[in-house]
Amino acid sequence: MSAATPRGMSPRMRLVLFALAVLAVLPGVVHVAGHMPQFGAHPLPYGDAINAAAPPERHVTNMTSAVNFDYRGFDTLGEEFMLLCAVTGVTVLLRGGRGEGTAGRPGRTGHRPVLPRTDAVVLTARAGAGVLLLFGFYVALHAMTTPGGGFQGGVILASGMLLVFLGDGYAAWRRVVRSEAMDACEGLGATLFALCGFAGVLLGLPFGQNILPLGTIGDLFAGGLMLVENAGVTMAVGGGFLVVFIEFLEETRVVPGADER
Amino acid sequence: MTGWLDVLPWAVAAWLLGIGLYGVVTSRNVVHLIGCLSVVQGATYVLLLSVGFRTGGIAPVFYAKPPSTSAVDPVTHAMVLTDVVVGATVTALLLALVLQLHKRRGTLDPEELRPMRPK
Repeated sequence: MSAATPRGMSPRMRLVLFALAVLAVLPGVVHVAGHMPQFGAHPLPYGDAINAAAPPERHVTNMTSAVNFDYRGFDTLGEEFMLLCAVTGVTVLLRGGRGEGTAGRPGRTGHRPVLPRTDAVVLTARAGAGVLLLFGFYVALHAMTTPGGGFQGGVILASGMLLVFLGDGYAAWRRVVRSEAMDACEGLGATLFALCGFAGVLLGLPFGQNILPLGTIGDLFAGGLMLVENAGVTMAVGGGFLVVFIEFLEETRVVPGADER
Repeated sequence: MTGWLDVLPWAVAAWLLGIGLYGVVTSRNVVHLIGCLSVVQGATYVLLLSVGFRTGGIAPVFYAKPPSTSAVDPVTHAMVLTDVVVGATVTALLLALVLQLHKRRGTLDPEELRPMRPK
């Protein structure tokens, strides 16, 4: 087992290299950690500026949403498209390798039998799905007032839909969650966010300018354009996660006659 | 005055980064490797939230409190929030790559992988 074999670097050699790298970086890390601004007591100029400006300027009480959808909305646009790219990548890799055939029996792993679900599982999953979807909408809607928003709400909504699969099986899940609809939801959500940003540009204003009436502070529907952007993010995140779930679960489809690998 | 508690957040972030990279270096299964990568990502969450922390500050939500209340930094919270969601989908993308790898090569061990050559 010499390191010169075409196998490349041996695990032992790699570990030695890692240890050397750690030794080289460690003094710097210790120095920096010892000279960081004092934890919990250093100035936060950007955060304080947002905290002071956003309630009177944008009529919202959740500062994190104000940053995500208004003050740094341009950054969120980038993140939105990272999400879109990652989901597109998953779809291309899995659907592209598998094809779009739906002849096989889904929800199988090899030749293991699928045991029928007990009533307790079905009941819990059905009850849980309803509660979770309601909670998802609640979190997504309360983006401007209390901690919440499209990112968190979208993930909760997608998880709630996944409970349909757990309780009622694969066929029922695919009847409820249509692949094409979720693809559209994902893409349109990201498009909606981008259009909100460019709406100001079309009127000769800066990108992301909040052009809708802001409403009353503390109100559920205050925040103007941020509400539309939040809806776009909810659609993109919820749709994106469901597309990912669909693609991974479609991998369990066993095509009759195909050899198992 | 720098007590040990003031160094702890940065030490935790550095430890998560180091132990995650150690896992990546020694990994014998690509699914395990992706888990290690998530640990490395966890270091950024600890670092960002520690940078934005303020002793005695409330969460940056002024629904029940007046906006003049001392609050932590909402900018780092927004960064972590989007980071978590994007990180989850990127992990899904990596796992999709793993599925393709297993289909084509029949192995999940990074040591078993060879450079691809045209047939």
